[in-house]
Amino acid sequence: MRLVEITDLTVSFPQADGVVQAVRGASFHVDEGESVGIVGESGSGKSVTCMAALRLLRQPPAKIAAKVMRLDGIDMLAADRKTLSGVRGRVAAMVFQDPMTAFDPVYTIGAQIVETIRAHREVSKADARREAEGLLAKVEIRTPAAVLDSYPHQLSGGMMQRAMIAMALSCQPRILIADEPTTALDVTVQAQILQLIKGLQDELGMGLVMVTHDLGVIAETVDRVVVMYGGRVMEEAPVAAIFDEAKHPYTRALMASMPGQVGGRRRLTEIPGSSPNPADPPMGCPFHPRCSEADARCGHEIPPVVVTGEASRAACWRLT
Amino acid sequence: MTGFIIRRLLSISVTFIIVSILIFTMMHAIPGGPFDGGEMPLPPAVREKMMAQFGLDQPVWVQYLKYMSGVIRLDFGVPFQSPGETMFSLLADAWLPSLVLGGLGVLIGAPLGILLGIAAALHRNTWIDYLASAVATIGLTVPVFVTSMLLILIFAVWLNWFPASGWGEPINWVLPITAYATIPMATYARYTRSAMLDTLNKPFVTVLRAKGLTENKIIYGHVLRNSAIPMVTVFLPMFIGTATGSIFVEAMFRVPGLGSYFVSSIRTRDYPLEMALMLMLTVMFCVAYLISDVAYALLNPRIRYGDRKG
Repeated sequence: MRLVEITDLTVSFPQADGVVQAVRGASFHVDEGESVGIVGESGSGKSVTCMAALRLLRQPPAKIAAKVMRLDGIDMLAADRKTLSGVRGRVAAMVFQDPMTAFDPVYTIGAQIVETIRAHREVSKADARREAEGLLAKVEIRTPAAVLDSYPHQLSGGMMQRAMIAMALSCQPRILIADEPTTALDVTVQAQILQLIKGLQDELGMGLVMVTHDLGVIAETVDRVVVMYGGRVMEEAPVAAIFDEAKHPYTRALMASMPGQVGGRRRLTEIPGSSPNPADPPMGCPFHPRCSEADARCGHEIPPVVVTGEASRAACWRLT
Repeated sequence: MTGFIIRRLLSISVTFIIVSILIFTMMHAIPGGPFDGGEMPLPPAVREKMMAQFGLDQPVWVQYLKYMSGVIRLDFGVPFQSPGETMFSLLADAWLPSLVLGGLGVLIGAPLGILLGIAAALHRNTWIDYLASAVATIGLTVPVFVTSMLLILIFAVWLNWFPASGWGEPINWVLPITAYATIPMATYARYTRSAMLDTLNKPFVTVLRAKGLTENKIIYGHVLRNSAIPMVTVFLPMFIGTATGSIFVEAMFRVPGLGSYFVSSIRTRDYPLEMALMLMLTVMFCVAYLISDVAYALLNPRIRYGDRKG
């Protein structure tokens, strides 16, 4: 059973002077108990893809289309309001980037977790509160009762992110989508949060989608990697293969630009140029203007998806 | 909270003193005096005597101190134009019509405006939004005396449904209150719409959706309460503003309210009456701001004014 199944997803935002194409035909899947990382620079469409999967983008203006978009077998494209609120939080829960703005400032953390529990299950307030306390303990908060009664502004970023993870787990979701969960946090806290997410995923057997621009995060938490660029999937492969034998020139360039590789003082290589303008994407392969291996065909025709291994594929003319 | 209120009361006293000095100085800075001009100018000797009798021949700061020492004992002086009365007896009858007009105007107009603003925000960029915004813009830009005149023309002259002026019966109230209610309605419609849109664009609203809350729970449980925070801060001061804001409406419909005294006291240089009216307004504004600050604190846990547990 596939927990996440997305085929040919396109997301666009019509503007006064044209159309911004945030996602242009992305496909990926997540199996039960599997963790998949979606990596890409800002503007690659990785966050929009996740927001679209939960139908969290306002439609209109957003236009979402796909051949298939299912979460735990539920067709998210055809879902009505009621189905959507049943899926969100229960089938698939999301952890967002900035924990400091993710909570309603006028309610306590406890009230907001209790509210989530009671949105999906018939539980008394007292029982829900007890559950919430247990959840906070599970995300390694040492004073769960005190945090329950705290308002968002009274807690630190790391504490809030733990609380958000606890809130996301409160209805035992089958899928956890974490959208840059450590980007807004102090470096010292980042590793703890990642370990926490990874540990909980193993323990609860959830599918995990980890969206990030940080390859270090990917290396630590996921089984399989989906590399996105310009709204398309460039390459997909098990995490070891991505780090050791990336097939796509973009993935290789991304690896080369990553600091902190073992072996110390290597000069960082940057990728020349900048990511494509989603309002005016280049013809052909979106990466061709910055690709050192591009030829004339790359600038005209969209490259086909080539199977490069058992669980690997890449979209590049070089591999055909 | 108690500490906050005490501190606030202290700062209100300072505000009160500053405002009273400003008004007193500006009042005396206007050329002319209460016993100048008119159709029959007083002989200079009589005028001098009158000035001396009311202490107007003394330096302004002496006059100010004298007046304010009276105010502390709740003695607001003798109105020049009707020396037989005290300030309280003079204004006692004028209070009620102004309060009814302004109060009912706000109590009817503000909720309508809030509903209009919510509807506009929830259906932004649809015809509902455009219609609500058009109504609000018209309410804000068309002067209230024009609205009043239109109402009189349509409902009093043409349709003959309501009397055009007077205040005796509740049926007299309909048109002036309607005319006045357009101001709080328009103000609130705009204010509510922008406060709601502001909240709807906050990241936590997306999180609430991602948790699987229904849209109704999100709007009525979270968005409205967050939007109410900026809204309560303008509500009471606006309520008090009706005391002056309704001057035109009172004039158009001949409502025997405070509005006429504001105008006549300035025209006739009736210094004690001017001061009494202005000080009264100042106190009302200060109290209104105090109450709305307390309401703000109750709604917004980020501001609990120093005390740990609200």
